[in-house]
Amino acid sequence: MNGPDDAGSRRTGPDAAGSAPGLTRRGFLRKGVAAAAGASAVGAALSPLREVDPEDLPTLERFLQRHYKEMTAAEKQAALDRIAREVEERYELRPRVADPPPLDGVEYVYALNITRCIGCRRCVHACVAENNQSRAPEIQYIRVLKMEKGSIDVETSDHHYDPELVPQHESYYMPVQCHQCANPPCVKVCPVEATWQEPDGITVIDYDWCIGCRYCEAACPYWARRFNFAEPAVPADELNTDMSYLSNRPRRKGVMEKCTYCLHRVRRGRMPACVEVCPTGSRKFGNVLDPESEVGYILRHKRVFVFKEDVGTLPRFFYYFDERGSRYHEPVEPVRPGEPA
Amino acid sequence: MVAAVLVLTAVFLLTDPFPYRRPYQAARPVPAWAVDTTPVRTPSLRPEIELAGYTYRCSDCHRLFPSPPETVRSLTQHRHIVLKHGINTRCFNCHHLTNRDVFVDDWGREIPWDRPQLLCAKCHGPVYRDWLNRSHGRTEGHWDERFGALRRRKCIECHDPHQPPFPPMPPALAPDTLRMGDQTSTATHPPGDDPLRLGRKGRDHDAGHHPSGNMP
Repeated sequence: MNGPDDAGSRRTGPDAAGSAPGLTRRGFLRKGVAAAAGASAVGAALSPLREVDPEDLPTLERFLQRHYKEMTAAEKQAALDRIAREVEERYELRPRVADPPPLDGVEYVYALNITRCIGCRRCVHACVAENNQSRAPEIQYIRVLKMEKGSIDVETSDHHYDPELVPQHESYYMPVQCHQCANPPCVKVCPVEATWQEPDGITVIDYDWCIGCRYCEAACPYWARRFNFAEPAVPADELNTDMSYLSNRPRRKGVMEKCTYCLHRVRRGRMPACVEVCPTGSRKFGNVLDPESEVGYILRHKRVFVFKEDVGTLPRFFYYFDERGSRYHEPVEPVRPGEPA
Repeated sequence: MVAAVLVLTAVFLLTDPFPYRRPYQAARPVPAWAVDTTPVRTPSLRPEIELAGYTYRCSDCHRLFPSPPETVRSLTQHRHIVLKHGINTRCFNCHHLTNRDVFVDDWGREIPWDRPQLLCAKCHGPVYRDWLNRSHGRTEGHWDERFGALRRRKCIECHDPHQPPFPPMPPALAPDTLRMGDQTSTATHPPGDDPLRLGRKGRDHDAGHHPSGNMP
């Protein structure tokens, strides 16, 4: 490849004696061409770096930011300002980024009436809109499992069902999301303590501290944690600008995220988005330390069960039944909200 | 030889003959109704009817035209109403015989139109008890009343009193998330056919299904 192999006679010729030992024209050319090709290969391999947007690189400020629990009030405010600035640069919207503290004497508990759930999946989409989850690839905190009546068999359940109308008579529906366990396996496995339980029972993630090892995703028996495999895509006109540090501020590629019971809403006394959107009223939420709350009534008076009780996670999420099924009746006219009445 | 391999590598990397294919689709539009918090029904909770742009109270007509005594018969007015309320087939089980602006309780006394829960409670005791304790029915607003009001929805904001079962509706978009298994529904593989689940062959759960078929 380095030309005709006619240099064999020159190697022993009188000219070769004057140059450095071992260095011949042929050898020099061969090594030179190989080095040039190697350099071009390295250059080609590095060429994707041209597409790197400098804005995607971590700023020094973000790199030096301390863990959420170690931040002073001033540092926390600086972090909130930085997040607001980043959102403004990226989406051209002015968000309200806050860090509402946990309320005293409050422990949140969720109850879900699987007698009434019809599997319409509105909770799934209300959650995505409220918490700024990525639309492509899709990230959803709630999975609605369609199950055969008479069983709680997760192995054969289906979350991709798509019939014309729900509910289907042979099925019942069991939405699964983060159970905010009192004994959370996901917190135990985190090697960098980027996730922890707050005093009000909500397990949160510091998205700036997470290294994306996904141990917590593997540890969760409810498959409640989601990983950002790609840069999350949220259309600017659908961005929820009411943000908080620990819940729905925009995430980045390579970090975990999860349901926080809409922490930015519930710590200001509001219901989570999934509770408000449920057309059947199957979803109940409240302070379990308040005996007057609906979750207190449900835990005392209804038939309640805990999903995967045997794994010992002590969830703060309960499923309950009513006295009687609701689907033994004559057919009624369906509601089709997408079409004019 | 080495240089040829390296040059080929460089050409391969620069021309990118196998371009990266995203393993996920572009974002799909989610219809507005999927995140709408309006209840499935929006009754006025007033004894009124709109006819040709005018609003009348029920008593405006029923004062002049007294209804015939209670029998099971087909309606001559309000013919859009289809009564499918189980064994409750009589209008005057709920509507007051003489004062059409109110409902009637078990002793013939009046129940105001804007408190239909008292009427439903005549028969649906356990559900009424659960509704009072907020374990049944929709709630919106604040779980903690120190921050704001909690809005309770009444029976007829979800249930049509003449066809009370909660209506079926189309489901919102199915998920298309990464790493959530095969992206097709497993509905075509009923679990009874799974050879690993030999004990599950019997499918007697259809026993309680209404013979007329609730769903297609």
